[in-house]
Amino acid sequence: MGRYILRRIVYWIPALVLLALVVYALAFFGAGDPIKLMFLRAEGDVTYDAQRLDAIRREKGLDRPFLMQFGEYLWHLVQGDMGMSVISGRSVNEMIAATAPVSFQIGIATVLLVAVLGIPLGILAGLHHNQWIDNTILGSALFISGIPSYVVGPMLIVFLVLGLQIMDVVPYGWDGLFSGKAILPLFVMVFGSIAIIIRQTRAGVLEVLSEDYVRTARAKGVPEIMVILRHMLRPVLTPVVTVLGQMLIGIVNGAIIVEKIFGIPGLGRLTIDNTYGVDYPVIIAIALIGAFLVMAINLIVDITYPLLDPRAGQAMTGVEE
Amino acid sequence: MTTQELSATTFRSPQASRSNLWRDALARLVANRLAVVGIIPIILLFLIAIFGPYLTPYDFLVQDFSARLDSPSWDHWLGTDELGRDVFSRILYGARTAVSVGLISTIISLTVGLIMGSLAGYLGGRVDIVVVWLTDVTRSMPALLLAIVINLTLKVPLETWMEQIYLETKNTFFRQTMWVDLFLVFGALALIQWPSYARLIRGQILSIRSRNYVLAARALGMPTGRILTRYVIPNAMGPLIVAVSAGLGGAMVLESAFSFLGVGVQLPIPSWGKMISDGLRMWQTHPHLLAGPAVVMAVITVSFAWLGDGLNDALNPRQWK
Repeated sequence: MGRYILRRIVYWIPALVLLALVVYALAFFGAGDPIKLMFLRAEGDVTYDAQRLDAIRREKGLDRPFLMQFGEYLWHLVQGDMGMSVISGRSVNEMIAATAPVSFQIGIATVLLVAVLGIPLGILAGLHHNQWIDNTILGSALFISGIPSYVVGPMLIVFLVLGLQIMDVVPYGWDGLFSGKAILPLFVMVFGSIAIIIRQTRAGVLEVLSEDYVRTARAKGVPEIMVILRHMLRPVLTPVVTVLGQMLIGIVNGAIIVEKIFGIPGLGRLTIDNTYGVDYPVIIAIALIGAFLVMAINLIVDITYPLLDPRAGQAMTGVEE
Repeated sequence: MTTQELSATTFRSPQASRSNLWRDALARLVANRLAVVGIIPIILLFLIAIFGPYLTPYDFLVQDFSARLDSPSWDHWLGTDELGRDVFSRILYGARTAVSVGLISTIISLTVGLIMGSLAGYLGGRVDIVVVWLTDVTRSMPALLLAIVINLTLKVPLETWMEQIYLETKNTFFRQTMWVDLFLVFGALALIQWPSYARLIRGQILSIRSRNYVLAARALGMPTGRILTRYVIPNAMGPLIVAVSAGLGGAMVLESAFSFLGVGVQLPIPSWGKMISDGLRMWQTHPHLLAGPAVVMAVITVSFAWLGDGLNDALNPRQWK
């Protein structure tokens, strides 16, 4: 088991380094000279000459070869320093620390809501296989998973605020997770990721229903609710863990769009605001954070899955002899 | 009906509908009501993409300043935007953007995926490990972040490069920055989508290669080329078609998500995502600008989801339990 964990870690670390290298190289060769960008963005008429630029470049170490600069960036990154914004001159760490909590709140709330709503719905659909309940739940899951969040959000705004006039607040901005303004963004986020969980849970229930231990439990008169809780829940939920990575990607993508629609000052908003300003240290940092989160989830799933499901564990770690 | 007639029909029918993989699949697809409902808007979409420019009541660029921001009327079915352009015409033109981006990016990513997947599946060993690792690395980057990074870093250099070529050759082709946009969008989409094709093809090759009928064919001395064309390709076709249909829809959704975030194809070519994002600016006073493209986008994406589900059931009957 120890060797297996080590193997998985060794698998993902070079992956992160490769991603960092590619993104850094894109910015290094593509985004242009950071010093020039800084001056172009400066207020008022800033006169600069080549000599002055060269001096600053030398002072900042920007005249060194690519690999040296990348190595330094990586070294700082490992220590938790993500560099400085080209445009505002603020540290990227600060900018991210100011915005990340909002995004993380939205992300965690989405995961919780999706689990609390999606798992019971999936179980309900599975237990009533091919009956109208199942058809309704699965049909609507397919339906809502098809509509992108940048369509759902605006349509909800038009229908709820203009059409039905249920909401009187203009859903723009952020007053914390438990305020009225958070309802629509969270709804759109949950809308986007709930289908995966419903389908996965339903498939799991269908598989478990025909197992001997479920039939035995029912035959000896265990109440249905206990059959579900004690005998079905664990084998059904274990595979759900494997879609976590996929869900996280969906949540990151969704957050970028939802934060734009509803003007929420989170990481996604930071990304979009800086797209036009070519503030590439910020974009690199956010891209790497996104990829890092996904990889970390994948690694955790890789490691915990054999513990949750010993059968799959044997196949994965090769303990079976 | 006489006995003779009856027997004639029953005897003829197995002849007339000789069991055939594709015919069976088509029958199953037609029997799936959701899939049939889904296929109609998709056929319409392709027809509009081809013939749209001849159907539109107005040119998508014509600006009628006397009819700015008009609500839907008989003259302008879906109203006009702030420049007085006909929204309905722009939506029809947007179909062309969506379909061409979907088709071209699917062809690119499918080609890359086919090559990488077959290499991994056939050569195995180190090649397999590296390809699988590369797919994992690529898939760890959330799609929208990837597109933003690519757009941010490559757009300006490519545009300068095009400008230089224009200055040297005086060929107006290089004057249109639209091509840079298209190239970046195709590149980002291909990069996002090739891993799933590669993994699918690799998995198909690995699983079909160890099937008994392939082993039998090999034992009988059938050449590899014939095994490929007779067994491997036909058997891998079903899942591949399902994946391509999903990928086509996915590419269209992603393209408009890019446009929504401002990293897609820039105007003047109409794109639904761009129209939605523009409409979002004045949804309170002119909701028709938002509702038109949003509803069209929703219909198309849900159609693709339903068709994909139907294709999956029709082409992978073994998945039924």
